[in-house]
Parts: sequence; C-alpha cells; structure tokens
Amino acid sequence: MIDAIPIPGIIQAILVLIMITGALIVTRKDLLSLLSMYRLQSLLLMFLALVLYAESGNYVLLQMAVLTLASKVLLIPYIIRRMQKEINISKDISFHYISPAYSLFITVALIFFSYYSLSKTLNELTDNKLFYLGAVFGISLALMGMMVTFSRKKIVTKTIGYLMMENGALIFSIFITELPFLIEVLIIIDLVILVLLAAILAVGMDSSIEEFQAKLERIKHPARNGGTH
Amino acid sequence: MALIEYALFALAVICLTALTKSHRLMSVLSLIHVLSCFLLIYSVLSTPVFPKYYIDENFMIDYLSVYEILIASTVFLLVVIYRKDYLENLLARGFLNKNNLALVYAAMNSLLLVIILSFSSNNLALLWIFAELTTLFSALMIAVMNSQKNIDAALKYVFISSTVMVFTFIGLVLLFTETEKTLGAGTLNWSALMENAKNLDPHVLITAYAFIFLGFAAKAGIAPFHTALPHAYSKAPSSVSTVLSAVVLNIGLFAILRIYSIMRETGSAAAASNILLFYGMLSIVIGSLSMLHQKNTRKLIAFSSVENSGLMLIGIGISTPAALFWVLLHTLAYSLTKASLFLSTGILHNQYLSNKVENIKAALQVQPFASAALIIGTAAIIGIPPFLPFTTKFSILAEIAKYSVFLLIPVLGFILITYAGFAVVLTEAFTRDSEEEKPGDLKKYRAPLGLKAPIVLLLLVILFLGLYTPKELIDLIWNITRTLYR
Repeated sequence: MIDAIPIPGIIQAILVLIMITGALIVTRKDLLSLLSMYRLQSLLLMFLALVLYAESGNYVLLQMAVLTLASKVLLIPYIIRRMQKEINISKDISFHYISPAYSLFITVALIFFSYYSLSKTLNELTDNKLFYLGAVFGISLALMGMMVTFSRKKIVTKTIGYLMMENGALIFSIFITELPFLIEVLIIIDLVILVLLAAILAVGMDSSIEEFQAKLERIKHPARNGGTH
Repeated sequence: MALIEYALFALAVICLTALTKSHRLMSVLSLIHVLSCFLLIYSVLSTPVFPKYYIDENFMIDYLSVYEILIASTVFLLVVIYRKDYLENLLARGFLNKNNLALVYAAMNSLLLVIILSFSSNNLALLWIFAELTTLFSALMIAVMNSQKNIDAALKYVFISSTVMVFTFIGLVLLFTETEKTLGAGTLNWSALMENAKNLDPHVLITAYAFIFLGFAAKAGIAPFHTALPHAYSKAPSSVSTVLSAVVLNIGLFAILRIYSIMRETGSAAAASNILLFYGMLSIVIGSLSMLHQKNTRKLIAFSSVENSGLMLIGIGISTPAALFWVLLHTLAYSLTKASLFLSTGILHNQYLSNKVENIKAALQVQPFASAALIIGTAAIIGIPPFLPFTTKFSILAEIAKYSVFLLIPVLGFILITYAGFAVVLTEAFTRDSEEEKPGDLKKYRAPLGLKAPIVLLLLVILFLGLYTPKELIDLIWNITRTLYR
C-alpha cells in the first residue's frame, strides 16, 4: 500500500504517458510501431515500479521492476519481433468491427466507465487520490487491451492487446497492494508461454503445413538453417 | 507420496516423454504418470491428518481436491489406454506428424500435472495461474494436428480464455487488498478466507467475486464466454477433446465453487447467488438453442456441455447442501458420460474423417459399435434411467423446484430443447443410408480393442453408479458439502 506517499507529480506523469502508449496501440496499424509502443509502455511500467520503490522502499517493487525489464522490455518483444519476421507482415489494417477513431472514442468511454464503476469499491479500500488514478488507469488499460484483442485480426496485434491488458492489471495491482513475488514470477512465466505459443501458432497460420514444419525447424535451429535472428 | 514428490515425478515423466522416440514408451510413461495420481490420493487419504497442506499452506488437498483429482485421473487413465491406437491411426493417415508425437505426449502429461496442481491449490492466485496454464497446454494439443483450422481453433481458445482470465487477476488483487486491510496480512488462501469471511467487507468482496467469477466462468464453458469451446472440441483429436471437456471444464466449476463458498459466509451471499443463477440460466438458454441447428456431433456435445455447466451453476447458486451434493455427483456423472461420447465420435471420425452429420453414412452397418455407444451415451447424457446422469439431473431439478417453480419451468423447457437437438442429429446420422454407396462399398475402419474398451468401461461405470452408488462415494461428497457449506 502506498497510502502514506504524498502525490508525486512524476507518478502521475508516468501514468499519463502509459495511457498515451495505450491509446496509440489502440489506433496504430503499423505492427512495428505497435511493438515499440508496447515496449515503451513496459519500460514506463518499470519506471513506475522504480519510483514507487524509491518512495516506499518496498523491495518487492524493485524485484518487479527488474522482472518487467527482463521479460516485457527484452524477452517478449524479442519473441514477437522474431515471429513478425517469420510471417513477414508489417501492417494490421483489418480493424474488425471498429475504426481507429471510434476505438479512441471507446477508450475515453472505458476510462469513465472504470472510474464510475469502481468508485464505490475503491472508496471502501482507501481515500488516496493517487490510488484512484492508478487503479482506474490500470483497469482502463486492461479494457483497452481487451478491445484490441477482440477487434483486431492479426495474431501479433491480438497478442499485443493481451499483453497490454496484463500491463493494465499489473498497474492496478501495484497501486493497490503487493502480491507475493512468487505470484509475480508465475504470471510472467505464464505470459512468456502464451507469447511463445501464439508465436508458434501464428507462424503456422500464415503458412501451409509443409512450410510450417520448415519454419518451425528454422526457429528451433536458426544457426543450422541460416535463419533470421 | 506427497504432492511435491508427485510434481517432481511428473516433471521427470514430461522430460522423458519429450526425449524418447518410442511411441510405446511414451504411452507407458503416461500410464505410470496417471497411476501416480491415484497413488497420491491413496497416500493423502491414508494419513491421519486431513486436509493436507503443503508449502506454507499454498497447496491443500481436501475432500473436494480428492474428488476432482479422482475424476480427472479416471478420465486420463481411459484416455491413455485409448490414445495409443488412436494416435497410431492419425499418424498412419498423415493427420499427425510423427515429429510432433513427443510434443503431444509431453503436452498431455504437462496438462495432467497442472490440472492436479490446480485442484490442489489452496492459494487462489496459484489456482488462477495453473488454470491459465491448462489453457495453454490445451491449446497446444488442439493445434498439433496438421490443419490450419486447428491452429485457428487453438488461438481462439487461448485468446478468449486468457483475456477473460485477466479479470480474475483484478478480482484477486481486490480480494488480497481487502484481507490486508481487515486481517493485517494479505492472504489468498482459501482456508484462511473461509475462516475470516465474516470479517471481510461484503461490498468489496462482491466486486472481487464478480471479477474472479468471469475468468473461471470462461474456463467452465459458461455463456457468453463459451464461444471458443465448440470449435476447439470439434477440431481437436478425440482424446484431447475428451480431456478438455470432461476434466479442464471442471477446473472452472471447482474454482467458482471455492469462491462461492467464501461468499456464502458473507453479507453478499444473495448477490453472489444471483450472479450464478443469471449466468446459469443464460448458459442453459444459449447452450440448448445452439444445439437445435447443429450439424456436427462434437459441437452438439460442446453446446450440451454449456447447457450442463449452466444447470450446475444454478445448482450451486440455489445454495442448499442437498443441491450441492447432487451438483457434485453430477460432475462425476457428466464427466464420464461426456468422455464416452467424445471417445465414440473419435471412432466415427476415423471412419468418415469428419464430425459432420452429412458425412456419416450407414453408420449402424459400418460402425455398429461406435454408433451404439454414441446412442447409449446420448441416452445417458440427456438423463434416461437407469444411468447416473438421470438420478443427478432429476435431483438437481427437484432441488430447483423446491427453490422456485418459476425458475424450474424455464430450466425444464430449455432442457427439453436439448433433447430435441440430440434427437435431430442422431436421427439424421443413423437413419440415413448412403445414396451413392452401399454399406458394403465403404472401406471399413476396424477399431482396435484399445479404442473400444475405454468406452465400454465408461458406459458400464455410469450404468453401475446409476443402479448402485457406493456408500464411500456418498460419504466423500457429503464431506465436501460440509466443508464448503458450513
């Protein structure tokens, strides 16, 4: 809990920046910039954990920052980048049901929705304003991620939507409480397996079965096949 | 054998299956793994201290865990017997790549391990993570067949399930915070939450519960989060859809039951119960109506699962110990019956290379065993005596009638619609002869004993349990009921 902390502007600034990266993920078509935005968002999340650690001195937050850097800034984007190269697509132009402009409009609606629907429960838990902001932004980011997952077509975009959802849930959790570190580690393992699975399946989706097997071999043994790195 | 020894043993089995090239060895290792689950239960039950706790009470095996693990292990045991011959056939016909065989076995053994760990989790966050891992391993097994449609089905399964599961995480965070505030130290251990439920704030709890429920509802095949299931069940190999439907679905209901039993102790019990009744009814309506226009045998069974999960949710929601008793017995009855149905469709699929009714021709002449098993299994699942689902379904309905006749009437009406759904498909599949080919012209697939024996065993067990339910089983279920509904 961070009840005792005075409202530092820097935390608010980071939160706003995170929401901007979220809004950009919702509206962008270019897959490479989608991935960069996710990476930036995770980096901001890491800074957020660091700032909160500096304020509260809670060791779990520092561990979380390191974990975020290793998994969400480095490993997961690397896997997705590799998958993108394999399936060789650069744009997800198929906004299934909603256009970018509407997506943005829905995003704003989601933030208001989160604010009002959570206000009663959050009141019971604390009266800290920063807590509100973090929790509401966290839930909004999770809902935005869900919108991306369900409204976009390409697996890469869906995966990034899911990852953004998870970032939102994590922001929500660090503002409210500190989950045991073991749980945090397991969540990351779960996330990495999901991304790996999505990556393997995406390669399969994109190709015929023979190609799929060959591509899978190439991913397994990049050096032997002279595959991309 | 304690839980930790079991987990280490299972990990060793997974590594060995991934490394070996012999199909026979993979099958034997899987069999040993399943038998070790029975050994785990035996050793837990034979110690005087019960329930057993492990690793700072993060894991716990109580009566409910024992019951669920027993159902899971029984289904897995029969699937292991069935799977070897079934996979040999898929390999011979080129539906499965030989290089992927080790992957299939490693994934299946990993799935069994995470299922056992889910059922043994006392910590709700661990339960959430293991449940999420079951989704990922299941998806891997759906995708392993040589077809893009399978990959599509697997991705849909992963994204719908995992996305909704994020809400469970948010709910768990709220719950953890509330315990931290009220009890001083945060906990997500079910046993501790049960002890302290009365002291927690009902308003925060109901919000947390609503979030947690959503994710596990997706796991349990509750509408409207069920949409990935029909595709997944129809595209996955038969042995996989059996496990998904007869075991993985139970994890969702298991988790909902755990959370609901906490809520039942609080001031928000009525609201929590209403949520279950609402989603239960919604599932019955959507499941039964979707069955009416099905032309695919496995999708039909999938929608029947949605409808049945709905019925069980209502059974839990009406909140009486008797209703819970029947819901728990129904879990066993329904899991075993569904398993027999999916395994039977596997034989028919080997014959016709399709699950679509239009492709099933002269089935009674060409595949009399599988056809008869499917018809008997269907009779059992819709609740025709003397099979066990008759007793359990009827008793749940009787409990609903005691709760409210206004709830009973629509439930009964929609259950009758499911009968129509099954009747239409079965009549179409089994009464039509081939126009182009005579039954004798069709190249007959000879199902080996390994495929038939598990189906016969399953049907015999549900028949036997329908005629005579052993006292030990009844005692076990009453013990669970007493632990959950204090």
